[in-house]
Amino acid sequence: MALTALEIYKLLPKTNCRDCGFPTCLAFAMQLAAGKATIDLCLPASEEAKETLGAAAAPPLPKVVVGTGERAVVLGDETVLFRHEKTFYHPTAIAVSVRDDLEPAAFAARLAAVRALSFERVGQRISVDLVAVRCVSGDPARYARAAVAAAEGAGLPLVLLAPAGPLAAAAEASAASRPLLAPPPSDLGAAARIAAERKLPLRVRARGIEGLAAALPAARAAGAKELVADPAPETPREAVADAVQVRRLAILSRNRDLAYPTAFDLCAPFPDPFLAAALLIPKYGSLLVLDTTDPADLLPLLTLRQNVFTDPQRPIQVEPGVYAVGNVTPSSPVLITTNFSLTYFTVRGDTEASKTPAYLLIADVDGMSVLTAWAAGKFTGESIAKMLSGCGIEEKVAHRTLILPGMVARLSGRIEELSKWRVLVGPQESSALPSYLRRLPPAAFLPANG
Amino acid sequence: MTVVLPEQKFPGRILPVTLPAGPGGTPVTAGGQNVLPFTPEGERPNPPAVGMEVRSGVEELPPALDAAIGKLARDPVALSRRCVDDWGARFLFLSLDGCHPDAGGRSVADGAALVRELLAATPAPVIVGGCGDEDVDARLFPAVAEAAPRPVFLSYAEEKNYRLVAGAALAYGHGVVSWSPIDINMAKQINLLLADLGFPPERVLIDPLTGGLGYGLEYTCSIVERIRLAGLSGDAMLARPVLCHLGDAWKARESADASEGSWGDVVARGRRWEEATGLACLSAGADLLVCRHPGNVARLSGAAWR
Repeated sequence: MALTALEIYKLLPKTNCRDCGFPTCLAFAMQLAAGKATIDLCLPASEEAKETLGAAAAPPLPKVVVGTGERAVVLGDETVLFRHEKTFYHPTAIAVSVRDDLEPAAFAARLAAVRALSFERVGQRISVDLVAVRCVSGDPARYARAAVAAAEGAGLPLVLLAPAGPLAAAAEASAASRPLLAPPPSDLGAAARIAAERKLPLRVRARGIEGLAAALPAARAAGAKELVADPAPETPREAVADAVQVRRLAILSRNRDLAYPTAFDLCAPFPDPFLAAALLIPKYGSLLVLDTTDPADLLPLLTLRQNVFTDPQRPIQVEPGVYAVGNVTPSSPVLITTNFSLTYFTVRGDTEASKTPAYLLIADVDGMSVLTAWAAGKFTGESIAKMLSGCGIEEKVAHRTLILPGMVARLSGRIEELSKWRVLVGPQESSALPSYLRRLPPAAFLPANG
Repeated sequence: MTVVLPEQKFPGRILPVTLPAGPGGTPVTAGGQNVLPFTPEGERPNPPAVGMEVRSGVEELPPALDAAIGKLARDPVALSRRCVDDWGARFLFLSLDGCHPDAGGRSVADGAALVRELLAATPAPVIVGGCGDEDVDARLFPAVAEAAPRPVFLSYAEEKNYRLVAGAALAYGHGVVSWSPIDINMAKQINLLLADLGFPPERVLIDPLTGGLGYGLEYTCSIVERIRLAGLSGDAMLARPVLCHLGDAWKARESADASEGSWGDVVARGRRWEEATGLACLSAGADLLVCRHPGNVARLSGAAWR
């Protein structure tokens, strides 16, 4: 459990030496309790204090890194059960499987399909993260070649789903790229020794929490350090229940023996992988292996992951600027709103629903909604007037009429004072835009005279 | 080795709320649990229930819906029979969007007549949704409340109209869906206002506003979790079943746009878009889901074990 400031204070030297940069030991203890300072700032601290506080500060769910460089995937390292409590840090990694016994052409086609599972959404790239090479051939040399070819072909880190023999061959061939070793339960001991020797992460698969409680210590005893736990569920229901239990053991019980990032092999014969994946993304799955390369499956799952792992404190922002909705002309209406992604999508959706081609001006307010940005002084008559003259809209339309969100009607006077634009106060709620836009007199957007 | 599993016990319990059925129909009860979803401890007498939306208005359907219900889209009564008899919807959400001036502008009397006709055609529990135009809804809800020959739920009561909607519901024995825009304080406030009117709490559902996948779904998930945690922790005004209406999933470009070849088949994708939206809501703790794709009733019900 996390320690309170007073508990920490009891472990400190209580000399108020100030070497840590804080005025008193108690002040330093409070910073430690809040996670804003670390014990190494306290030079005179006892070994006991360092050990106790160091352990308490370690994340309740350890961090496991698979792969290297830019595409390295971080699993685990989470601190809360609900994203509103802080945030979820490391998005559920998604691996797509490829069999090692495919003919060369089919193998290459499969990797091309995996590579194509990458999409641009709200200014971010969302992609499949790993390629999982499944040993079907049983032939170590063939499997090792397939693993190397898959890593190169997909440009992604590897999950090696193979028995000990082929696994050893592939680990030797690809160790530098830091693959995740994923042996069947029967080969855990041998695979754990490979993981220990090559310092590679290891997936430990055993049935249920009880099974993991026996298998994880066995893997640790063999020297494997970076572990990922697969409770080997047979149904989506079991999968979600197990993922919830492991996360609660980590966060609520601070159980270090069982708290590892979770992995789920959702390939055949696992029933209903899409359903399991869509539940495991919000509910604590760290790594999912899927068979499908259908974008109709992956785009929804990757979008869900993007949603769930958005930091609630730092909303996704939309690139500020001028957006055309529909077939715009120089007499299309011009609306302004802010670059909070939800605000943008709502206004854009309602504008599209009106079937009225229009320009949207998206103001840069650090991703705040209209009212919040206004209250924070970021959405003002000055900033709007500046945007009108600087964003290029004056070259795109012949009129000078701006539709302002109804919530900030009070800005109209200032905008008209500071710019050549006339302001129409739009509806307070975006949902009223369709009927508002349809009822606008076209005369409002005739070219301005002089 | 026996692992001691953690348990999260709560002092509160979600109030059970029943959507009444007609003669021969099966009522739907939601709520009653004293735990979060997907945990072994606690009691959860009522698994989540999945219903389907039927609309009175004319609209251009996304390809996935057009393929599934296009032929019935202009006959809400026939569609609702199939929803219940063939596709397994446990309840119906009748949207009177056709009364909106921009979606056909049918009269209030027309809307009320459709409610009567639909209730005669199926014994399934029914929630009746307004058209979204403030002025029309102010006349529509009282007319529907009077016309409905058996108890339904009216969707929705919000800060501006709750007196009118709750008054109409009280007078004729209906329930209400209390609506707030992804805001836990407003969700509580509207339920307090309803309580002040003397509205029976066992006839109130919470609609926290469900964003579509990719368009604010994360806000909905978090608000559902926060409402649920508050309710279980003892806040009676929030200890109510939560209804998530997945309609916004179909407003997403990704669920309806056939032009992006790299996104996969639009019919499969549209259905998945709604399904993923619904599954995320279930994971957060939703008690009732309203979907539009017939195939998703079974899909989402299949995950409704918690």
